[in-house]
Amino acid sequence: MLPASLPPLSKGGHAAHCKRCLSGLPSSQVDIDPAKLALSFYCLGSLDVSGELEKKTKDWEREQWREWIWSQQTRGHHGTGFRASSYMTAKHSTEEHSGHDNPQIIMTYTALLSLSILRDNFSRLDRKGLLEFLRSCQNIDGSFSSEPLGGDSDLRTTFCAFAISTMLDDWSGMDVANALQFIYSCRTYEGGYGQSPFGEALGGTTYCALAALRLATKQLDPLSLQDRQKTVRWLVQNQAYNGGFSGRTNKDADACYCFWCGASLHVLDAGDLVDNAAMSSFIASCQFKYGGIAKIPGEHPDPYHTYLSLAAVALLPPNSSEGASWALCPLDPLLNATYQTSSWARAHIPAPKVDDDALGDAGI
Amino acid sequence: MKIEIVVDPARPAPPASLVSRVAPAASAPAASDARGASCCILQRPEWADVVPLEQYENVTPLAPIFYTDEYRDATNYFRGIVKSGEMSPRVLELTENVIRQNPGHYSAWQYRYKTLMALKSPLDDELQLMDELAIKHLKTYQVWHHRRLLVQQTRNPGPELEFIANSLQVDMKNYHTWSYRQWILAYFNDDALWSHELDFVESMLESDVRNNSAWHHRFFVAFQSGVRNGDEDRDAIVRRELAFVKERIAIAPNNASAWNYLRGVLDHAKIPYSELQAFVLPYSLPQLPLGIPPEVVDLENPLPSKDSQLPCVAAVEFMADIHEAAGGGDLVKATELWKSLANEHDTIRKRYWEYRIAESLKTKSGGDG
Repeated sequence: MLPASLPPLSKGGHAAHCKRCLSGLPSSQVDIDPAKLALSFYCLGSLDVSGELEKKTKDWEREQWREWIWSQQTRGHHGTGFRASSYMTAKHSTEEHSGHDNPQIIMTYTALLSLSILRDNFSRLDRKGLLEFLRSCQNIDGSFSSEPLGGDSDLRTTFCAFAISTMLDDWSGMDVANALQFIYSCRTYEGGYGQSPFGEALGGTTYCALAALRLATKQLDPLSLQDRQKTVRWLVQNQAYNGGFSGRTNKDADACYCFWCGASLHVLDAGDLVDNAAMSSFIASCQFKYGGIAKIPGEHPDPYHTYLSLAAVALLPPNSSEGASWALCPLDPLLNATYQTSSWARAHIPAPKVDDDALGDAGI
Repeated sequence: MKIEIVVDPARPAPPASLVSRVAPAASAPAASDARGASCCILQRPEWADVVPLEQYENVTPLAPIFYTDEYRDATNYFRGIVKSGEMSPRVLELTENVIRQNPGHYSAWQYRYKTLMALKSPLDDELQLMDELAIKHLKTYQVWHHRRLLVQQTRNPGPELEFIANSLQVDMKNYHTWSYRQWILAYFNDDALWSHELDFVESMLESDVRNNSAWHHRFFVAFQSGVRNGDEDRDAIVRRELAFVKERIAIAPNNASAWNYLRGVLDHAKIPYSELQAFVLPYSLPQLPLGIPPEVVDLENPLPSKDSQLPCVAAVEFMADIHEAAGGGDLVKATELWKSLANEHDTIRKRYWEYRIAESLKTKSGGDG
């Protein structure tokens, strides 16, 4: 039986966990280096969605972080984007670009959102180069490689390309019809989407597919009625009896899938089919006593599961009678950031509109 | 999937017995130990001609990692090598060293592959090393990506299926491993490769009839990968698959994977669910109908095994779908079943079942109007 009311959501503790990770990681986490910007996004996103960013961080810290993220903007041979971190950059290097220090598409998406969380004005963004970068990542089958002319390609990179185009308010960086075709080819008989064609239905990539379809088509419902019913059925079926969501049929619940499946349902305007109270109860049980949220009860927490759990609660909150601790900032399910942050991104990332009169007055 | 970053200091290692069975190379020493006591490349005379390059950090980094001396040393030399563009056997040693310390090191993988190509290195040796690394780092993208690149060069996919079968013994639902198997089959698309695939799936389902990855793979083999010699009669394939899944449902009725497979086959073949009513009905009842003598058992419609927990949620749902499709007076029957799911058998999805009731009423009033 589920408890009648939830234990508090330890927002302060989770913020402290993420702040600790931002200030340093032990050597055992060395494999984070090639995905450092994603980790930074999960930490900053946790602070943002829980409303703790201003409380927990100082102006000068946020300034330093913006600087560091900008220092990852790299102009490669095939356009401009953000690399994961400077783990391949040599000190005193005079070379512009080694060819092994490439920008990467997932890191670029998380960098743009992180800078929006930090309310950057994006005056340093190389928009033209970014569009060129997207174009050089797209493959013949419509998918996107994680870097130009190579690397793995799957629905994660496709979603990031769609989110970047949305933030730029410019779709000239891709062949949209071809990209949509790739998304359709990842659909499975269960109703979810696999990571790539022929792959098993998976919560994370189903979110990527549905959010991307909705971003591109702007239709309320990007699927046919029958497909929608099947997808909703599969997503709802993934809610386990303990309240959490599993990412695949017959797998155990994992906190991150509360977001991937819950947000997928939200994108299909079916978020009200989730048992929010049970989901929150599962997430509450994944809280680590010294802060942070783990994938399952009793494991060690990490920023990835912390952020996605908080984002799931923000999107599908329990009853308001559960108290203020469970109240989070409203979340934009399509870009995966708070509405305040996604509005900031949509307002500041597109190229400034050129005012013809102003140009005329200046004699240009 | 996801953009997963798990900060988990306690990474479980596969049992040693499995590692050594799958990968004989597992006992070979890491490159860093191969030369004896000195762990640091800096102190080895044969690297004296390379200028190590420290990592650049101009501004205070976010989430700095406190590297070990050994890792710092190896990556300093790696940056030095990338700068000079050297491609030599010692570069293979160095990149292996970096990869063993950080299997996610994208650039080390990339540079290693380039070097293997430049040196025309024997790729079978490389694959053998990968047998070990893949088992150790089953969840690392790069391990699998590298393997795909290698097999595209060797064009010898045969041994890969056995390797995959072995690594699935370590983790039977590993997404990368199954994806790799699907890729091997689809990319090389050779009749000999496909010939034992159904037997393979069957053996995986024998170990765990709830393994959804295996069910998914079966669907891929039967319906999504073209028509091979001997499989031209598509109706026969559908019949074979329906018989197969019915049998598995009978063994373990409360298995969402098998029910999803059944629905998948019917949808694919455009067969109405009502054709399965005789099979599904007993599973949707609170208990087995009494008094069926064993000699009249319908082989086409096997009954739930003894001690099955009934009613089976998926069967109740299936019967409700049949009634909904029939429409008219049958909608009442569907509604009754949905109510029993919402209030008794599947309460976590109460909102969903109530939504199904509301939707069917909408359709009905829409149709009447």
